[in-house]
Amino acid sequence: MITDQVMPSSVGQTVFVVDDDAAVRKAVARLLRSAGVAAAAFASPREFLAQYDPATPGCLVLDIAMPGFNGLQLQTTLGEKGCILPIIFLTGHGDVPKSVRAMKRGAFDFLSKPVKDKDLLTAVRAALEKDALARLEQARFSEIRTRLDTLTPREHEVLEHVVAGKLNKQIAGDMGITEATVKMHRARVMAKMKVQSVAELARLIERCGIN
Amino acid sequence: MSWITVLWSINVGACLTLAVMYLAVWCRGRESLVRLLFSCIAASAALIAAYEVQLIRADTLEEYGAILHWQPLTTWVLVLSLVGFTRLYLRAGRIWMALSACGLQTLTVILNFLFTPNLYSGEITALRQLSWGGETVSIPVGTPSLWSLLNQATLLLLLAFFVDATITAWRRGDRERALIVGGTTTFFGAIVAAQFALVVLGVIQVPFFGSFAYLGIVVALGYQLCNDAVRAAHLASELQIGEERFRRVVEAAPNAMIMVNQEGQITLANQQAEKTFGYPREELLGRPIEMLVPERVSSDHRGFRHDYFCHPQARSMGAGRELFGRRKDGGEVPVEIGLSPIHTSKGLLVLASIVDITERKLAELEAARQRHDLAHLARVSTVGELSSSLAHELTHPITAILSNAQAAQRFLANDDVDLDEVREILNDIVTQDERAGEVIHGLRLLLKKGEPQKQCNDVDLNEVIRDVVNLMHGDLINRNVTVDTNLAENLPAVSGDRVQLQQVLLNVALNGCDAMAGYDAMERRLLIASQWENGAVRVSVADWGGGIPEEKMEQVFERFFTTKREGMGLGLSVCRTIIDAHRGKIWATNNADRGATFHFSLPIVDGRKGGSDH
Repeated sequence: MITDQVMPSSVGQTVFVVDDDAAVRKAVARLLRSAGVAAAAFASPREFLAQYDPATPGCLVLDIAMPGFNGLQLQTTLGEKGCILPIIFLTGHGDVPKSVRAMKRGAFDFLSKPVKDKDLLTAVRAALEKDALARLEQARFSEIRTRLDTLTPREHEVLEHVVAGKLNKQIAGDMGITEATVKMHRARVMAKMKVQSVAELARLIERCGIN
Repeated sequence: MSWITVLWSINVGACLTLAVMYLAVWCRGRESLVRLLFSCIAASAALIAAYEVQLIRADTLEEYGAILHWQPLTTWVLVLSLVGFTRLYLRAGRIWMALSACGLQTLTVILNFLFTPNLYSGEITALRQLSWGGETVSIPVGTPSLWSLLNQATLLLLLAFFVDATITAWRRGDRERALIVGGTTTFFGAIVAAQFALVVLGVIQVPFFGSFAYLGIVVALGYQLCNDAVRAAHLASELQIGEERFRRVVEAAPNAMIMVNQEGQITLANQQAEKTFGYPREELLGRPIEMLVPERVSSDHRGFRHDYFCHPQARSMGAGRELFGRRKDGGEVPVEIGLSPIHTSKGLLVLASIVDITERKLAELEAARQRHDLAHLARVSTVGELSSSLAHELTHPITAILSNAQAAQRFLANDDVDLDEVREILNDIVTQDERAGEVIHGLRLLLKKGEPQKQCNDVDLNEVIRDVVNLMHGDLINRNVTVDTNLAENLPAVSGDRVQLQQVLLNVALNGCDAMAGYDAMERRLLIASQWENGAVRVSVADWGGGIPEEKMEQVFERFFTTKREGMGLGLSVCRTIIDAHRGKIWATNNADRGATFHFSLPIVDGRKGGSDH
């Protein structure tokens, strides 16, 4: 019994298979479907780019060596567009230098052809999870940004001081305002950012990776 | 005894002797009409001499007339024979003159028999006896009439004919004959005419002695015919010597030589022919030539032989086909044959010079084997360069097969099995397996050494191009080279070894890829084109690399010339060897914009034209 069915971590996840060899892409997509994963096959990176909507969650199974516009170039193009789709490269025999280059640019995984179903499905599952998490993160991140955008410039200034770990008195001194005003701003920041404690606020800001 | 009787009798005897002699000679062969005519001339001259002596001795006018009654018939035979002889022997003289003279002479004879007792009966009124050289002779007395004028006209016309024939023959360069036959006849003819006229006109009073003029003519003609006979005998002996010499040359010739007559029988064979075909000479002579021809072509050979005798000319036999001779032991010998027609008195003969090319064929085979080995060595090295991309080529079908098979296992594990899907998967697996098999098969063909092909096959160069592009597919991807093809439709086949031609194209294309290694990936492209013109198919491979320096255009095909660090410099030199062996050409040109183009052309297999003979 084969039981390692990949359950999509979120609805609508698709594995994009890009390979110039029709037989290979058909077989790989078929294997993915047999494991319950939605798969879409493309004959070339250009064809994929023309149809791909970055909002669609999933991952990419990409042949590294293709004539003309190849797998490495697609990776670069997607990177430039800020697309976070995890890429699993399928490599043929003797593609070591290319693999190294792809790895440096942040490829998710490498599988060499011919690929075993378990290897492929494991990698695909991991990639889909990573994509789902990344998309969750991205959603959270944009939520925090939205909250930050509601702050007034004065409240923003107070927030920075708070996150930097300063006391109200120090903040009042630095900003040249009364301690009571600082307290008021601080309470409003906590409310707008929907946090209970300074520690929570600091973690939120840190996760966003912004000042 | 009277001296007149003696002289005239000698004349008669001499002429008769010659007449009988030549008649006898003519009877033996019955070939030369000239000899018969000469015999007639001599015989009639003898008769005329006999008549003359009778005229001289005639006592009465009646006796004289009786003799004259028959004389013109004799003269008629003489004139006609003489005219015929001159025409035939000198091959000159105007026909109308000959015919007119003969016609007038015939008229004279007819008229002579119409008048009684003869034509001249009206003219001659009396006989005069006079003493001549101590003897009494009879001379006719009378007045000249229209008839003697007719006679004169005939004589003048004859003279004109002889003069004309003599001049023509002289001008043609046949001077001896012209002088002896034409000159003598004219000279003595003129004497006869003059004497006749003078006697008839009564200017001189002598008996007719024209027979001596005729004797002169007979002697001159006899001399000339005798001369001819001597010369012919001389020529015959020379011919015999020449024939003997010819036989010796043929015998000593380093090649087998066989002479054949129009019936196809062997009339001559030399020692080398005995050796080549293994028959002793006695078994060859008189036998049909087809005994030396392989049985499978002997009936064709009969036709070819007949054609050759219709249009004989010196040339080689077989028109490009391979020829074989059949030995006595049944074995076949590869041969080359030259034919020359020889016109002889026995009709047209053909001399065939036959060269045994067994040794040369062996040497050619050895050379072909060496070329084959070298080509194989170079091919293995080329395929070695491709090995990683060939493995890649196998990876595709194997990957597809594995994924398909595992997908099928998963589908089958489900409760609700979609059998259509599984069936489709199995079909795909079979297809991909076949594809992998083809890759391996193609590779095995390229790597296989095999035997040098004895006979070339028809090869479609478009298929060769497709094979090579497929073979290079993986390598081209690795090198980031795109390939475009521009193939001519309905490309005629060429004759050759398909694997070796693949090797040439593979080498040239890989060279093109190497030339572009230093250029931007987007610019690396090859264009492989096929076309045909002027009886040859041409394949061109254009690259967009750095091109070839003009001074190295020829050098690139030399052995051990290389610009690559790891190259042996064998590839293109082997390509040239292969193309040369296919009777083709290989060369390189630089493109107008950038890069170089390598071309090779091979002759088209023509419409299987058979040779015109064997």
